[in-house]
Amino acid sequence: MAARRTCTIEEMISCRDVTRRFGNFTAVDKLNLEVAPGAICAFLGPNGAGKSTTVKMLTGLLQPTSGTVTVCGLDVSSHALELKRQIGVLPEDLGLFDDLTVEEHLLLTGSVYGVGKQETRARTKQLLHALSLEHGRHTFAAACSHGMRKKTAFAMALLPNPRVLFLDEPFEAIDPVTSKIMRDLLEEAARHGITVFLTSHILSMVEQIATQLVMIRKGHIIWNSPVGELPQTLEQHYFDLVEAPVVEELEWLGPQRS
Amino acid sequence: MARSAAILRALGTAFRRDWKTVGSIGVNAFFPVTVLLLGRAGGFLYLILGLVMLFPASTDPMRKIPASRLGLWPLDRRDRVVLRLVSPWLNPVTWALAGMAIWAVKGRVTVGLWAAAAGLFAAAFLISDWTSAGKTSFWPRVPGFPGPVGQLIRKNLREILSTLDFYVAALLTLTGLAYRVTRLSLPPDAFRDLGLLVLLALCTYTQSLFGLDGVGGLARYRLLPLRGWQILMAKDLAFLAVAGVLLLPLEPISGLAGAMVALAIGHSASVAAHREQTRWRFSGGASLSYSFFQVAAMAGAWGAVGLTSRWFLIPCSFTWVVSTIWYGREWDQRRDLVL
Repeated sequence: MAARRTCTIEEMISCRDVTRRFGNFTAVDKLNLEVAPGAICAFLGPNGAGKSTTVKMLTGLLQPTSGTVTVCGLDVSSHALELKRQIGVLPEDLGLFDDLTVEEHLLLTGSVYGVGKQETRARTKQLLHALSLEHGRHTFAAACSHGMRKKTAFAMALLPNPRVLFLDEPFEAIDPVTSKIMRDLLEEAARHGITVFLTSHILSMVEQIATQLVMIRKGHIIWNSPVGELPQTLEQHYFDLVEAPVVEELEWLGPQRS
Repeated sequence: MARSAAILRALGTAFRRDWKTVGSIGVNAFFPVTVLLLGRAGGFLYLILGLVMLFPASTDPMRKIPASRLGLWPLDRRDRVVLRLVSPWLNPVTWALAGMAIWAVKGRVTVGLWAAAAGLFAAAFLISDWTSAGKTSFWPRVPGFPGPVGQLIRKNLREILSTLDFYVAALLTLTGLAYRVTRLSLPPDAFRDLGLLVLLALCTYTQSLFGLDGVGGLARYRLLPLRGWQILMAKDLAFLAVAGVLLLPLEPISGLAGAMVALAIGHSASVAAHREQTRWRFSGGASLSYSFFQVAAMAGAWGAVGLTSRWFLIPCSFTWVVSTIWYGREWDQRRDLVL
């Protein structure tokens, strides 16, 4: 069974002046952020705002151009391997191998993270059942629907019992029942002290689950507070702060075809 | 007709932009060797012709159109037939192969030969359509392996089994096996040479070990708490298992030496840059010069073990282990490379 470190850390996730540039483009600019143990932090923003870049930096997939990132008290740049043992990640592209089945992905996770064989089998069985993946356990990832792929990646993130969960858009392209199951699992994880950091565009879901809200626009954090401190509904606040929807009228759309 | 012309124009533009497809054929070590063999193949002419004809299948321009998109376009049957017949000729490899086939059989062109070429050509495109239709692995029953990277070895085996390199190598092994079983007379060195050809068919894969992992797979490698050498070792063991099985009836010891040297050299290219590969095509290497260097070193190791002493297997193994550790460290350090 994977050993769990039990040291006390005030902030499970900490970013200090983190910047990431791609050539002349600055994706994330001097980002400062703290997330406490057991919190569910929702990281919101429009497409291209810098959410996924931030998640990649927090999980060691991308090096910051400047600044320091600490997760579980470990510097992400200098303790990459140690950090990987402590976190579970549902990456943007799901991180699945086309040539492994759903079940094989979970068995791989167990063996690589040092979870015992019996324990891996037991957790795999439970996760497949909880996420309604039992019928597709022998399906290759390449042949799975997007929803199944996402559920597999989510199960992989949970299986090693991580201290921090990073989830990039976990609720998108998921049926309502699974979405509810995932929400319940995350809330239970948080109750057990696991820190959850997630990005999402589904504001109604975020409003129900998150304890901390962070909004980012063009690489800058524009809001960071506990969810109880929102001055209005999340949706309204998001439209006011991040971007308001603009409806373009398409006159040519209609019964008179051309 | 206007619809298929528009699609062909777009396809031509897309194909010209992506010269990697043709480039990957150019740097598959087996390709130049097969072309050279075409001129002097003798009794093997039809086999060689068949192998060469597999190349257009691996660069079929129609594969640039997602199957779902093709199904949604309002095309009638005639449009689809025109697309199927004309699209191969957007590929310069098709023209090159047609030219080479004429050169190879100069003075010996018969109706039968042309019929065989046409049949093989059609079969190659049928295979291309058939294999691109299904995404599911053809090898669900590959056994699991023990240890932390056991599932990765299983995955890597399935990847190798979804390249055309493997099937060409298997065809050559089966040819050798048939001779062994039937005890037909062959020159004494024939099995050794055939074994080298098998390794030649397989070796380009080692230059793009991560080519079939996709963006998701590469991200997962970066997330798993594994060191670079462990990831490379899982790749290598799968390759050595395949090479070992295919070389067993031919020249296993020299084959092992050659395979280890091919891997030792291939690590550098695999780790330095990500070259995305496509299933059911031939593997593409780093460059033609790199492929020639790899083939020369591999053939050297092969010759040293096969012709002089089996003790040469020790330096070959040592080179492979050092390369795995060295390039494993490089993989660990190049964190941003693939994203």
